[in-house]
Amino acid sequence: MFMKKSTPALIAIAVLVAACSSAPTTTSLLDQTRSDYLAAQNNPAVATYAQAEFRQASAALERANTAATKQESLDAVDKLAYLAKQSIATAQEVAKRKAAEADVANAGKQRDQIRLDVRTQEANTAKQQAEAAQQQALAATAVAQNAQAQAQNAEAATRDAQARAAALEAQLSDLAAKKTERGIIITLGDVLFGTDQARLTADGTNTARKLADVLSKNPRRTVLIEGFTDSTGGSAHNLELSQRRAEAVAAALVEMGIGRERIATRGYGEAYPVAGNSAAAERQLNRRVEIVLSEEGAAIPARR
Amino acid sequence: MTTSMTKMMIAGAVVLLAAGCSSMKTPATADVAVSRAAVESAAGSGAAELAPQEMSSAREKMMRANQALAAKDYPLARDLAAQAQADAKLAQSKAGSAKATTAADEINENIRVLREELDRVAK
Repeated sequence: MFMKKSTPALIAIAVLVAACSSAPTTTSLLDQTRSDYLAAQNNPAVATYAQAEFRQASAALERANTAATKQESLDAVDKLAYLAKQSIATAQEVAKRKAAEADVANAGKQRDQIRLDVRTQEANTAKQQAEAAQQQALAATAVAQNAQAQAQNAEAATRDAQARAAALEAQLSDLAAKKTERGIIITLGDVLFGTDQARLTADGTNTARKLADVLSKNPRRTVLIEGFTDSTGGSAHNLELSQRRAEAVAAALVEMGIGRERIATRGYGEAYPVAGNSAAAERQLNRRVEIVLSEEGAAIPARR
Repeated sequence: MTTSMTKMMIAGAVVLLAAGCSSMKTPATADVAVSRAAVESAAGSGAAELAPQEMSSAREKMMRANQALAAKDYPLARDLAAQAQADAKLAQSKAGSAKATTAADEINENIRVLREELDRVAK
């Protein structure tokens, strides 16, 4: 109570004392301290984070200022100014520490968010890769299934071809067919034609019918009909006769429903004999028509 | 007018008395003890490494305060103790801010690295 009442009186004494002297005492340390104080006052971090420390610094500076106003000794003023200066620096350091700590807390949140983003991104990438891999696996399965289907088709086609080949063989067995390099060759003997004629006998027609049957069941095969004679008679006549006999067979086949475009004919006359021409039995063997049946979808190689 | 004059006189006498009492009669032992605690606390928080200048100043003043105490120069002991305490407080707060700044730098570096990683993963 007593102290409070006496405060105005104390100030009055201080003012009186100051008024008597020429100027208030100051020191370079006190000036420096005042300047530090202003800097701290203008630092928003100090206001935010170091209010208590700043109040203590203010009080310390106030004591130094009072000593200066009262014109105490320079040494006394410096002692108080030093304490104030250290106190102001302490407030600055506390503000700096707390600001850094706030930064750490904030950065910690940021870091956690980024870590989460990184993991999310990694998970997305992994998911995309898994999906891509799955797609590839599906595609590979489809390719495999396709290949299997093709293999089955090919197998079926092979079986089919084998079946047709077997059927053909059965059909050709009646026709005394021979397998050669050029294809399957059916030889129509002399007896199937009238002597020196190009007309098919009844047996010849029968044979032609069997051949037509084979051709209609094997639509991808074609025929080359080749006519031959023995050496009796003129070669021009023989050439013409062999051509006509070949044509006669072709005409018979066409009549039986085989397309003309599948049939080729050649007359060779007395060329390419299969036997001598001295005995009658040998000459009969030379008088013949050979029918070359092509492989499926293939051309017939020329006679060599 | 006369009452205010007497009050002023009384107050002036009280101020002189109080100043005389504190400097003459207080043995300053307590002040020196408080300062020693402040210096030890600062040392415990790594101030010797992080604020070596303030720390050595505080220790040197502590030593001189003890010498003054032994010589029964109590005013000097009290002044030196007060300065040592101010130095120690500053040393401790400097150590604290240095540590916090290092931690902030570290975490910010950490974030930078993570951001790079994020950019890399995102590509």
